Amino acid sequence: MIRDLSWIDPLYLLFALRWTVLLTLLALLGGAPIGLLVAALGRATKRPARLVSRGYIGLVQGVPLLAWLFLFFFGFPIFGIDVPAWLAATCAFSVYSGAFLGEIWLGALLSIPRTQWEASASIGMSYVEQLRHVIIPQALRIAIPPTVGFVMQLIKNTSLAAVIGFVELTREGQMTAAATLAQLSVYLMVGALYFALCYPLTTYSRYLEHKLHAAR
Amino acid sequence: MPLVDLRSVVKRFGEHEVLRSVNLTVSKGEIIAIIGRSGSGKSTLLRCINGLESIQAGELFVDGIPVHDPSADLRKLRARVGFVFQSYNLFPHLTVLRNITLGPTIVKRVSQADAAALARDALRRVGLEDKMHAYPDQLSGGQQQRVAIARSLAMSPMLMLFDEITSALDPELVGEVLRVLENMARDGMTMMLVTHEMNFARRVANRVLFIHQGTIWEQGRAATLFEKPTTEELRSFLGAVLN
Repeated sequence: MIRDLSWIDPLYLLFALRWTVLLTLLALLGGAPIGLLVAALGRATKRPARLVSRGYIGLVQGVPLLAWLFLFFFGFPIFGIDVPAWLAATCAFSVYSGAFLGEIWLGALLSIPRTQWEASASIGMSYVEQLRHVIIPQALRIAIPPTVGFVMQLIKNTSLAAVIGFVELTREGQMTAAATLAQLSVYLMVGALYFALCYPLTTYSRYLEHKLHAAR
Repeated sequence: MPLVDLRSVVKRFGEHEVLRSVNLTVSKGEIIAIIGRSGSGKSTLLRCINGLESIQAGELFVDGIPVHDPSADLRKLRARVGFVFQSYNLFPHLTVLRNITLGPTIVKRVSQADAAALARDALRRVGLEDKMHAYPDQLSGGQQQRVAIARSLAMSPMLMLFDEITSALDPELVGEVLRVLENMARDGMTMMLVTHEMNFARRVANRVLFIHQGTIWEQGRAATLFEKPTTEELRSFLGAVLN
């Protein structure tokens, strides 16, 4: 049954966008703690801890995101645990975000010169105080642009969750296109919506970078 | 009781022995200049005293705190021992004022207002009261180094360690930093400074240590040491730096 594209379709797409946003937020919620842990382990003094961090980043980045999605979606049922598509997608995207955020944040931490650690230690600051007042404020400035860049990648990559049947923007677009055969118009709208979500982030990132630079 | 007491201190980096059984006592109010070739271990000696480097053997006491003991409270030690680095190492994201108040407020739990007063006083002593709200990268090297000194002074240290603090400066900026040191010396601060400024060492130091191959090769009053070096190594070192 082929129907015409109607005024309601853009609205459906817009509603589907919230699942894209929600999946992105869940992925960040799950990925940020993993990322922090990866970054913390990555600059630990103990070598095994650093290996765990490096290993995690290497493993996750070395396997396609699509494979992680399949792994969670089809892997759990093998152990008798049925997971809904949204949960499998959240797990996969959290694992994925954890590796990339961890690498970005570790890089930012390591880029702060050793002398900043020494100077703050020499006035008697504890490790946590050094991090809080000296290291993280400087690392943050370095980490913000690539972090926002990654969030944009993440927003676009959540479209992969369509393959396990999670209905977000891309999946909704596929279904609308199939029903109306108006592929070009539908995917132009889908593209425009992704752009509308990502572009403000780019601008915001540039603004933050500028602001933090001006305020040092 | 000496303020600083090193007993057979050994420092190794892997297989390489940087300090070989160093014995040294420093009393309150003394000004010690440490000279020697690069790689002789003089900076390492200084860094061991506030625990920036751990030692592998021997004992090291600063004001009674056993720095060699892994369970020693380095935080307490460092709150009372100032350290000034060759490359200033100010915190680039903070104003001059905050660079100085960070230690007092965070480590010594002084109120912001009291810390600001300490900072103002410290800045006055280094002649930079007008730079309180500047950021480090708006200052010249000499000014940054004076701020670094003020940062240490604001902690009211009982001992100040200076690690080649004029070596990274343009020659015309060295004087302003040395003048600050001379004022501190006059105020009775106990100081240990690794330096290449021989004239300054001769003028200000009570005692000069010549470090060679990880040991205190020769030491004594500046005038005696510079006029009548007893070892060939010191003679050749002085010949190289004074001419």
